[in-house]
Amino acid sequence: MTAAGMLIIPVLGALLAGFAGERRRLVTAMAALSTLGAFVVSLFLPGARGVDLSWLPGLGIGFSLDPSGAASVLVVVTALVMLPTAVLASLKVEEHPGRFVALLLVAQAGLNGIFMARDLIVFYVFWEATLIPGLLLLGMFGLEKRRAAVVKYLAYAVTGSFLMLVSILALKVLSGAASFHITDLMLVTPNLDASTQTWLFLGLAAGMAVKLPIWPLHSWLVDLNEQNHPSGAADVLGTLYKVGGFGFFAWALPLLPTGAERVAPALLVLAAFTAVYGAVIATTQTSFKRLLAYGSVSHMGIVAVGLFGLHIVGLNGAIYLLAAQMLSTGALFLISGMLYERRGTFDLGTYGGYAKSAPALAAITLFVIFAFIGVPGLGNFPGEFLSLLGAFQTSAWMAAFATLTVIAAGVLGVNLYQKIYQGPQGATLRDIDPLEAYVLVPFVAGIVWLGLSPAPQLQRIESQSQLVVMQLERSIGSEAREQGAGTREAGALAAEPPPGTTTLTLGEQR
Amino acid sequence: MTFPPAIDIELGQLAPSITLLVTVFATLLFALWQKDSRQTAAIALVGVATAFGFTLASFLARTGSVSSFGMRFHADTSALALTFLILVGTALAILVSYDQLRRQDLAHPEYYPLMLLSALGAVVMAAAGDLVTLVLGLEIMSLAIYVLSAWRTRSRVSEEAGMKYFLLGSFGSAILIYGAALLYGASGSFVYGDIVTSLTAGVSFTDGVSFAAGGDGGGLLLASLGAVLVLAGLGFKAALVPFHQWAPDVYTGAPTPVTTFMSVVIKVAAFAGILRLVAEVFPYLQPWLLTALAVIVAATLVVGNVAALLQRRVKRMLAYSAVAHAGYVGLAVLAAGEQGMQAAIWYLSAYTLMNIGAFAVLSLVVDAGDEGDSFEHFAGLGAKRPWLALAMTFFLLSLGGIPPLAGFAGKLMVFEAAISQGYLWLAVLGILTSVVALLYYFRVIGAMYFGKSVHPPQAFTSGATTLAIAIALAGTVALGLLPGWWHDLVAVGSLAR
Repeated sequence: MTAAGMLIIPVLGALLAGFAGERRRLVTAMAALSTLGAFVVSLFLPGARGVDLSWLPGLGIGFSLDPSGAASVLVVVTALVMLPTAVLASLKVEEHPGRFVALLLVAQAGLNGIFMARDLIVFYVFWEATLIPGLLLLGMFGLEKRRAAVVKYLAYAVTGSFLMLVSILALKVLSGAASFHITDLMLVTPNLDASTQTWLFLGLAAGMAVKLPIWPLHSWLVDLNEQNHPSGAADVLGTLYKVGGFGFFAWALPLLPTGAERVAPALLVLAAFTAVYGAVIATTQTSFKRLLAYGSVSHMGIVAVGLFGLHIVGLNGAIYLLAAQMLSTGALFLISGMLYERRGTFDLGTYGGYAKSAPALAAITLFVIFAFIGVPGLGNFPGEFLSLLGAFQTSAWMAAFATLTVIAAGVLGVNLYQKIYQGPQGATLRDIDPLEAYVLVPFVAGIVWLGLSPAPQLQRIESQSQLVVMQLERSIGSEAREQGAGTREAGALAAEPPPGTTTLTLGEQR
Repeated sequence: MTFPPAIDIELGQLAPSITLLVTVFATLLFALWQKDSRQTAAIALVGVATAFGFTLASFLARTGSVSSFGMRFHADTSALALTFLILVGTALAILVSYDQLRRQDLAHPEYYPLMLLSALGAVVMAAAGDLVTLVLGLEIMSLAIYVLSAWRTRSRVSEEAGMKYFLLGSFGSAILIYGAALLYGASGSFVYGDIVTSLTAGVSFTDGVSFAAGGDGGGLLLASLGAVLVLAGLGFKAALVPFHQWAPDVYTGAPTPVTTFMSVVIKVAAFAGILRLVAEVFPYLQPWLLTALAVIVAATLVVGNVAALLQRRVKRMLAYSAVAHAGYVGLAVLAAGEQGMQAAIWYLSAYTLMNIGAFAVLSLVVDAGDEGDSFEHFAGLGAKRPWLALAMTFFLLSLGGIPPLAGFAGKLMVFEAAISQGYLWLAVLGILTSVVALLYYFRVIGAMYFGKSVHPPQAFTSGATTLAIAIALAGTVALGLLPGWWHDLVAVGSLAR
């Protein structure tokens, strides 16, 4: 029931906010009530029972939700982030606040569904459905060049996820699984032969890599953030909706371990490059939002490095970073909105010297920037550290390359703070007001919480990572066994090549 | 021999058709001395509802394969399920016409009788178990709809539509009848079951006659050629590429309420014919038939979607999108057996609701002359008529296959059916063209919400059309959220041989 509540509460809130329409106070009340309700319920998630209902039995699809494992962490952090964001949106959006809040809340329900789904089709349903609120927010409330950004976002996301859908359907048909439930799939899908697994994995990766996002599929994100509503509330949703990494973690890796092992080395290279590329490009940006977008791409590169290292430590770290970046990146987007409200531009070149007139805002910004660049003791650090550590176990070179990000991120953070708050003292900036303080407090609290006490969350994530690693080992084990058998048979001049011939020849050449 | 000869007639399963026929005459007589077309519409609705009731009764009481006239008129699960769709489509189209006819000054007395006649033909097609019954239903359905598509007598476009539809339609019917003749020549029967028996018995009817030189292969080849021609004739009605050329012009030229009717009911009836033919006869014919069908489906997917992307007017875009949707149903038709049949019926159910919904919204957006359906006319609709825009958004997203709406569950089923039959490449093609589809559907959504209003929106409102939109919307959402029950209900058990 708790799990279902995480869907019902936001949807109900969205309906009420939608009906409230232009009555701003009512919309704010609905936003506050719904997000508070969702947050309170989300605290009871760890250990709660899941949902298992019949949905489309003819095709082996059941409505299965399970709030344990990584889901419990991600859903809680999502709820924490939405808590101030929805309220801020209801007050800051000039026209149609009801629509804005309704779309945000629908998206929250969708995100919760993505994280909790235990049926592959149900996962896909939430994955795809959550795209629409984001698109509409961009299209309805975005800046001037939003149309091009909408088309780009739509084309990237839908092409990726539709390919994912074919892969999902083929996965069950080819493996002969009893249903789309994860336990049924995991039993048989690793038995598929290596090339089938690789193709299916690539299909899934098409959808997930776009939403990670990973270079070269990241450019929609930058346009999206640049053109979104200047309050930054829609960008917070964009930050939450970077669910590609979670998709790999929860589905692609455990279902297709052999395919994952074939493709992961290439993806690891892309991931490391994304991390460095994002951070370096970010330092050259003059728009606050574009800078944040590239910085965020860099984070996602680190997440991907953690994932494609295929090591349990890295897997834990990747999901932890995914949760933590929601807070630091989200807060920075909202701060960018606050600056825009005061200055009417995102151009960093026109900022400067605000520390004197707005010391409180400066202090909070500095704190969040520290979290953003991964300073130890704050939210992002454990995730980043573990992601890189995990990758070092499998590919030291790539991990070392990705670690260069840390330097670039440091430069990025210091530059950013300097450009906004230091420099010639002249312009004055209104300091933080009570609403903004209320908005930023949950973020700061969350950053401290994730920074100082990572163990309980990591434990929950690890319960799921172990499953992933177990599946991966199953694949390594089976390949090794086939190789062993192959060598023996080759010695005995066996007439018929065993099923694992391709791996066998590769093994011998090595 | 007794007189009259013993004919198996189940009045219960004929009841829906008879009800429709009676209503045709009732509305015709009534309309002659009652000028208010809305009262005729009410009678028509009562007739359709009664037919629906009879169909429901047969559906609930059905036991295996039930038929009349020696397997020539079926009342099995698929026939009844498709009859449901035809009746729902007709009822919603009547609701859309209700106020619209008076607004566009098209309220001539014969409108509703013709629409019901066309629906009657469609119901007969859905039940047809032999080629003669199929042709009979097809002609009843088509002749009425030819007239309706030229209903805007003062519009050259509408006249052209009617003329084009009539000429090309007659051509299509002729091809179908020729194909039926070839099938009869090869097997000595019009009934699907007997055709199959004759072909599988190894002794082809023609062996002793003209195709003796070819032996068994000759009969089979003849039958296969006949089947291709029948498929082409039905493909014409279903608007499968390359038999689709009439569709965009006729859909655009016909009055929007007629297009609403035609885009759904005609397509369902045509697919009813195709489904039964492919499921019952194709497996016993030469295997290249299925390859040919696969190519047709692939072409339909590509041409329909790409052409829709190029359109500047929403009505024409929806016309091409209707062509594209025939391709998605085609994916399920290819998978023939039980699963494919189930998927096709389900997809057609979703299509009926979401497509009628989209056309119903369109009928409120166009002006009294049935013009003004460009993207600019949709601009700013989200602000001016928010509920209408919201409903349209749901229909378009569903047509685009976005979960959790009916169109998504339908796509899920047809793709799954195609993949499990080994048509992975077609599924991939279907998916890629779906991306294109989403782009053009989203263009309308974008115009409604992201654009500034250029033209003042039409002030026309209609309670009946709103009701039709509400029913279609409720169905689209409900089928999408809970797809399982209807999927189970239309499980076709009796088809597999």
